Amino acid sequence: MNTGSPHGSGSAHRGLGEWLLQRLSALYLAGFALWLVVRLAMAMSADYVAWKAWMATGEVRLAFALFFLSVLVHAWVGMRNVFLDYLKPAWVRAVAQLLLAFGLLALAFWAAQILLVDASA
Amino acid sequence: MAERNSHKRPKNLDLLRIRLPVGGVVSILHRVTGVLLVLLLPLAFLLLQSSLQSPEGYAQVVALLSSLPARVLLLFVTILLAHHFLAGVRHLLLDIDLGISRRGGRLGAWLVLVAVVGTAVVAGGCLFR
Repeated sequence: MNTGSPHGSGSAHRGLGEWLLQRLSALYLAGFALWLVVRLAMAMSADYVAWKAWMATGEVRLAFALFFLSVLVHAWVGMRNVFLDYLKPAWVRAVAQLLLAFGLLALAFWAAQILLVDASA
Repeated sequence: MAERNSHKRPKNLDLLRIRLPVGGVVSILHRVTGVLLVLLLPLAFLLLQSSLQSPEGYAQVVALLSSLPARVLLLFVTILLAHHFLAGVRHLLLDIDLGISRRGGRLGAWLVLVAVVGTAVVAGGCLFR
């Protein structure tokens, strides 16, 4: 693998795809954040039963599933851009990206567990 | 050759002399807050999971979040989120050529900073009542 060439660090259209993914996920995250702040502010005095019941509804779990997907995609593209700009020796960058990939994958499994096990009624 | 040229060249990396324009400050802070927010994700997952697992877990999370150190952390996270959100919206607006001019860019960046301070004041008022 020739990481020094433009092909090694990603082809031209791949950059465009990431650009678009970052913006689409940003739009969802922005809407989700506003919605969550309003909903949590409305339910300030809620207890465990109400919280659990709310999190078990289909729309809320779907909203959270899309949030988890968006935040992990957004984190991947964003962190990768930071690594590409500031981590200089190619192997340091590669190690960082590998750790990031494992970390985000672990978070993805964790999110699935929260949604499918902990959030179910 | 390298030795002959190594002196007297104006190096523009004097960090005390470089003044980043306000748009640059907002942009670099967008990166810094983004990295910090990613690092805080596991903590958020842990709190969410504990609060759903059992009534005891829920009570623990509520008690933990009510403590003074947690309130300070929550205020810090609110500032991170507010900045990342608002600077992100600014970037999205720049994509559709809104606030792209020199003047508009500066104005937008200052608006982001002012709005972040405003959000911090409101959040601080709510958290430390």
